[in-house]
Amino acid sequence: MVDLYAPRPVEIREIEQETEDTRTFRLSFRDPEERSAFRFSPGQFVMLSVLGVGEAAFSLCSDPGDEDISTTIRKVGRVTDAIFALKEGDVIGVRGPYGVGWPMDEVKESHVLLVAGGIGLPPLRPVITQIAANREDYGGLEILYGARTPGDQVFTYEYESWTKIPDCRLLLTVDTVPKGVRWQHKVGVVTTLFDDMKTDASNSLVMTCGPEIMMRFVVRGLMARGFTIDRIYVSMERRMKCGVGKCGHCQMGGTFVCKDGPVFSYRSIEGLPDKIV
Amino acid sequence: MEAVVMAEEDLDRFVRSASEGFSVFGPKKKDVTHVFGEIKSGREMDLKYRTTILPPKKIFHPPRETLFYFSRKKGFSIDQVRKESRKVLLLGVHACDLNAILRLDKFFTEEFRDALYLDRRKSSAIVALNCTEIGENCFCHSMGTGPESSAGFDLSMTDLGDRYLAEIGTDLGRRLLHPLELPRADRRDFEEKDSRLANAKKKFKKFVDKEGLANAAAESFDHPIWRELAEIDLSCGSCSLVCPTCYCYDVLDQIDLSLSNGERLRELDSCQLLEYASVAMGGNFRGERKDRMRQWMLCKLRYTGKEHGFSGCVGCGRCIGACTVHIDITQVAVRIKGG
Repeated sequence: MVDLYAPRPVEIREIEQETEDTRTFRLSFRDPEERSAFRFSPGQFVMLSVLGVGEAAFSLCSDPGDEDISTTIRKVGRVTDAIFALKEGDVIGVRGPYGVGWPMDEVKESHVLLVAGGIGLPPLRPVITQIAANREDYGGLEILYGARTPGDQVFTYEYESWTKIPDCRLLLTVDTVPKGVRWQHKVGVVTTLFDDMKTDASNSLVMTCGPEIMMRFVVRGLMARGFTIDRIYVSMERRMKCGVGKCGHCQMGGTFVCKDGPVFSYRSIEGLPDKIV
Repeated sequence: MEAVVMAEEDLDRFVRSASEGFSVFGPKKKDVTHVFGEIKSGREMDLKYRTTILPPKKIFHPPRETLFYFSRKKGFSIDQVRKESRKVLLLGVHACDLNAILRLDKFFTEEFRDALYLDRRKSSAIVALNCTEIGENCFCHSMGTGPESSAGFDLSMTDLGDRYLAEIGTDLGRRLLHPLELPRADRRDFEEKDSRLANAKKKFKKFVDKEGLANAAAESFDHPIWRELAEIDLSCGSCSLVCPTCYCYDVLDQIDLSLSNGERLRELDSCQLLEYASVAMGGNFRGERKDRMRQWMLCKLRYTGKEHGFSGCVGCGRCIGACTVHIDITQVAVRIKGG
């Protein structure tokens, strides 16, 4: 039996520079059996290890059907510094997948509203690719994405293909536009896009991921527009030391983000302490 | 229940006999208090103890342990920790601590199995000791976790003054006693046990009224007590250090000077420490002492075991004794219930 805490080796196949401080790492299992045994659903996460430095949790942004797995990482601390020092061909450790992902079954036949901020878009990317691949199973798709500046947007190289998905709209906004940068979309926080969206509260399901303070305003803004909190799903983020509900660190009250989440209906976490959303 | 009677000198024979198959751990005197430590003879042990500094949790969920060894020389190579061959017999464990172990068993089994903990437990034997004397901070009786053990032991002993009653809980317990050829207990021994336990139950000075406590705890997020306690609390984490049910741990990598070989460790952590709920870029979801105090207290009174209908607190009273500013969980329970 593979020990619960032992990471498995994966090779970094490709590194995509998304923004100044954010990269997407495509990872390939060395052992084909391990790859085929690794099945995940959109919204789940893995623990990535750099031996000698440590381990941290990262959401998967690849499609579950892809040959390799990918994760988009922002350089913010000790472990991510070490990951950014690696190059293509280097080996990194992976454990998982863990946690409860997006409600892909519940959302079938519904209109889907995705609201993402900054590096909150990657965990929603497999939702987009899954809807695109099984288009007739879902209602309309609308993606609202906000970033600090145009240069802080991730996956810009995919926007064109997303807008070609039938019955799909992509609305963009940024907090500020630096001098000399061309920007044809909205300026303002992501909730300013609510005025332009077509999705309404009837027969729709919302998935949102981003900074907690953003999700707080997203949830409240949507409630004001008649959305019910049973149909608003948020993806939470906490520092995790184990990913499997044993180390205790990710708890909000007595709820474990790692195993009870990271995706929760807002209804199920509404009353919990130790959160902003 | 099937039972035998042990004299004081039989204890020594028992320890020596059990030592052939187990590393025996029991309560030993240390200065003015007691600790659980390895013993080779019954004389090293003192079963008249009231409490120990640390709970026997340290044997199954050690304060620090290796998760795996690694080498970076060959790129990425991991060596699993070799399984410990040591089998532990825990002798003289009080009902509070035994109940805490049973709670940890559940915790480390549910959803993901923590093999490091569970392998140690699987190969262990437990000799419980019912409490006929009560410590000043004990409140197990009101928590329903003592002073008598009702499950989870191979043998359960009661001090009858001039002899011990040893009740058999499992086949392993029977086999452990077998070489000693002890006389069977009779009705008078059981009557003596009942009378001593009934007497012990009258000696408690601390109580928690469990009725409605979990619900009151769930409604107490904004209770003023958290801010009041935060005014005196030092966030030292002593309560977690001595708590028999605190399971939280931190994970860290240690690497040798050549930067090629190392190990990943876990060590016990506490939600009372400032860094515990910190996240990247300077965030901290329990940056205020009141939030950390609430987390610890409600983990004990509400969160842990809520699916199983038990409490995360077993009433051992160690946190009360260890707290440098005299925070008392039984008083906290009174307050959040509206007392």
